[in-house]
Amino acid sequence: MKILVQKFGGTSVDRPEHRLLAARKVIKAREAGYCPVVVVSAIGRAGAPYATDTLVRVLHDIDPQVAPAPREMDMMMACGEIISTVVFAHTLHTLGHRAIALSGGQAGIITDPKFGDARIQEIRPQYLFRLLEEGYIPVVCGFQGVTEPTGADELSAITTLGRGGSDTTASALGAALRAEAVEIFTDVDGVKSADPDLVANARTLDVCTYAEVAEIAHQGAKVVHPRAAEIAMDHNIPLWVKSTFSDHPGTRIAGADAPSFVHNRVTGITHTGKIVYIRLEIESPIHKSRVEREVYRMMARAGISIYLVSFSPTALSFAVPRKDFPVARDLFDGMVVPIEHDPDEEGRVATFYIFKFSEGLDLAYSVQRPLLKSMERKIRIVDVPGSVIESCTMISVIASGHRNLPGVMAQIYTTLTRAGIAVYQTADSEMSVSCLIPESEVQRAVKLLHEQLFEQ
Amino acid sequence: MSEPVGSLVPSGVERGPRLSFERERGVYSLLVTHDVAHCVVSIGQDEAQRTERNLHVFQMLTEAGIPILMIKLHRTAVSFGVAERFVERTAAVFDGTDFKIKTRHGLGMVAVKAASMRDVSGIMVDIADALYEADAQMYGTGDAHDTVQCLIDADRMDALVTQLRAVFHLEENAVQEHPLHQGVVA
Repeated sequence: MKILVQKFGGTSVDRPEHRLLAARKVIKAREAGYCPVVVVSAIGRAGAPYATDTLVRVLHDIDPQVAPAPREMDMMMACGEIISTVVFAHTLHTLGHRAIALSGGQAGIITDPKFGDARIQEIRPQYLFRLLEEGYIPVVCGFQGVTEPTGADELSAITTLGRGGSDTTASALGAALRAEAVEIFTDVDGVKSADPDLVANARTLDVCTYAEVAEIAHQGAKVVHPRAAEIAMDHNIPLWVKSTFSDHPGTRIAGADAPSFVHNRVTGITHTGKIVYIRLEIESPIHKSRVEREVYRMMARAGISIYLVSFSPTALSFAVPRKDFPVARDLFDGMVVPIEHDPDEEGRVATFYIFKFSEGLDLAYSVQRPLLKSMERKIRIVDVPGSVIESCTMISVIASGHRNLPGVMAQIYTTLTRAGIAVYQTADSEMSVSCLIPESEVQRAVKLLHEQLFEQ
Repeated sequence: MSEPVGSLVPSGVERGPRLSFERERGVYSLLVTHDVAHCVVSIGQDEAQRTERNLHVFQMLTEAGIPILMIKLHRTAVSFGVAERFVERTAAVFDGTDFKIKTRHGLGMVAVKAASMRDVSGIMVDIADALYEADAQMYGTGDAHDTVQCLIDADRMDALVTQLRAVFHLEENAVQEHPLHQGVVA
């Protein structure tokens, strides 16, 4: 039995004519001798009546001050896929094919109990195999599973898989069913060299490695979720990204069989995130690492992830998502890090580092600082001035093997700065080079880098 | 056949083979790279010249064919890591120019790998605590969606790896050697 998993995203199932195109892809696969297993997302994107965001809003609108319980939220969010699955299965039925709609649990998808961001722990595929043997086309809800009951008198709870959940469902089913391939259908022809909304002549790549596509997805391009790419990579399942709306062959995501040219090349330009860049001046090289640890600890306690970390002997800089910046700023403003030490030449036995943001962002500091004044004979008080660059974004060049290619950073930096685009900071990993730039310049930056790296 | 009816969890069927589908949240591996140096090239105090001076540094390194990593821009300097075998050539690039280079030798890089690092807060503080416990000073850092890299004294690498393994509950086989600039001739 040659099994093919086909996943259709929200824009592929949002209208009857789109569902018909998607259904034809399934029928075509069946006619080619495959046993298709279909995975669907909820119908449409935010604003559509059965889109996940719309369903969530129904709960929030009851009382915006009271957050819905995670378990109930997951039940609500799962409804979008259930509706979509039934509609799609019936569409196939009207076209003369036996199809059956299955929730994640009915498809045997067992997850951990982390509501809203569950991980797939196990798939029990026997029921799916039985349906396939009996000639059904299973249409499975993406993005959801169920927990394993922990007691005899307990039933499973519905969970959702978090971001990229439907892609993850498709890849995991591909692995569990030992599918010939997993096809992710979307509204573009495949993996692009840049966001086609910003670069009209962005190229569709014929082939990408799992690592490249995971990197592209992590850096902001919404082609296939990295969780799905990682599962396909770990289980060596061929993965394709294709368009529901064209017959373009799409992009093959390759593993060990990838052609050699993909290992040292520029794959694409991505951009991601609304970011605020924070710089803290820490005067003392002796205590700097301890003050830094408290900064990291404070951010961790607040659940804020930090990145683009950079430090010099007297400064620490890092980026936070803009949505988290008000919390970060309020936490830092007036924060005191006390460090005990041996008496200094003036007999002071501790240093208090107090954080201060400029530009009117120092309300707590301006209250706290005078309170410490009376202690200055016994304790050294040191200001840690903070400054911020708001409205930044990160642009990334995905370039496998760039660390073996001298000059990649020079080319990127030259292209951006020669065009008058400020580069505030850089970051590089095995697979990418990223630059922090003003958000207002993102479109121009993507276009310029695409021209420089792909079109010349 | 009768219309199939599925319960919430299919019962009466044997369990499938237990496959591991998703990577665990958080840290899953440590990559260790030996023989790395850290360079800081001073570009001067003139803020108006900063971009041009940075550019000049990158271009000189490119022309000399020197691959660099962990590149960071500072107010008066550019810093980067380089394989030890490229250090002499790197220093020679700036000989006779008005750029001053300071190089710190005998370093190694420990990279902490995690799934979706940027969706998980707190990894940085765990790394900072491990560095503190290992008495390892960090000279350079880099981060990506799946990695935090720490450039430290080579003689503290074992201690740091031990601390990180304890903090992140990693088995010995989660630690891997990761050579730098494979295939690039110095």
